Amino acid sequence: MATFGHYLQKIINHGRDEAQQDGSAAVEAQHLLLAIAIEQEATTHQVLTSAGLDHQAIRDALDREFEHSLGAVGASATAFDLPMPTSAPERPQHLGASARLAIERGFTSAARKKDLQPVNLLIGILQAEVGTVPRALALAGVERAGLAERARQALAGTGE
Amino acid sequence: MPGVEMPAPSDPADALAAVAALRRLADRIEDAAVEQAMRSGWSWPQVAEALGVTRQAVHKKHVKRLIAAGVALRRR
Repeated sequence: MATFGHYLQKIINHGRDEAQQDGSAAVEAQHLLLAIAIEQEATTHQVLTSAGLDHQAIRDALDREFEHSLGAVGASATAFDLPMPTSAPERPQHLGASARLAIERGFTSAARKKDLQPVNLLIGILQAEVGTVPRALALAGVERAGLAERARQALAGTGE
Repeated sequence: MPGVEMPAPSDPADALAAVAALRRLADRIEDAAVEQAMRSGWSWPQVAEALGVTRQAVHKKHVKRLIAAGVALRRR
């Protein structure tokens, strides 16, 4: 649990960087996923790479999801001819609803708190059936439920 | 696809995702547009009126970022 708490803090911290780069006012589930990809903890790294997902691939999938979702109503992020805004000087502190749900699901994916592993957080993120992350994964051709199952198997394989 | 008429998505998942994406896009455009306006010498009340929000709201949301960006701000 102490180790998981430390890992979670590290991921939220990286997630703040991702959210800031994204111009987001809050850390969302996709920022945690990007942070997990950067952190490359052994088990989560193995699960993500099994689906061809690294930080860049996830970033690309998220960009694609953004354009795809805008396209459904005839909008495009590239259709506006304004210079990119300067980023916020401070990293967002707030955890968005999707990030809070992912963390909560990660916690409940372990039988006991002391069994929590880094991969539990990934499982929590992959449990979302709707929202930005599952849509981005689907657009990237990643079978989310299967990936979540692989993450659970990897968890069982850690022998904890 | 500029200039192409697209029907509203019939799948609620697509429609809801479009709402989330449009909000994100609107925030991004607001950040860019407010910054550009303030760089061009607009005042806070003018920007607020153009956005249809109070000047307190627009000031609170953007002032730190614009100061960090080195934009010379006019008085409120």
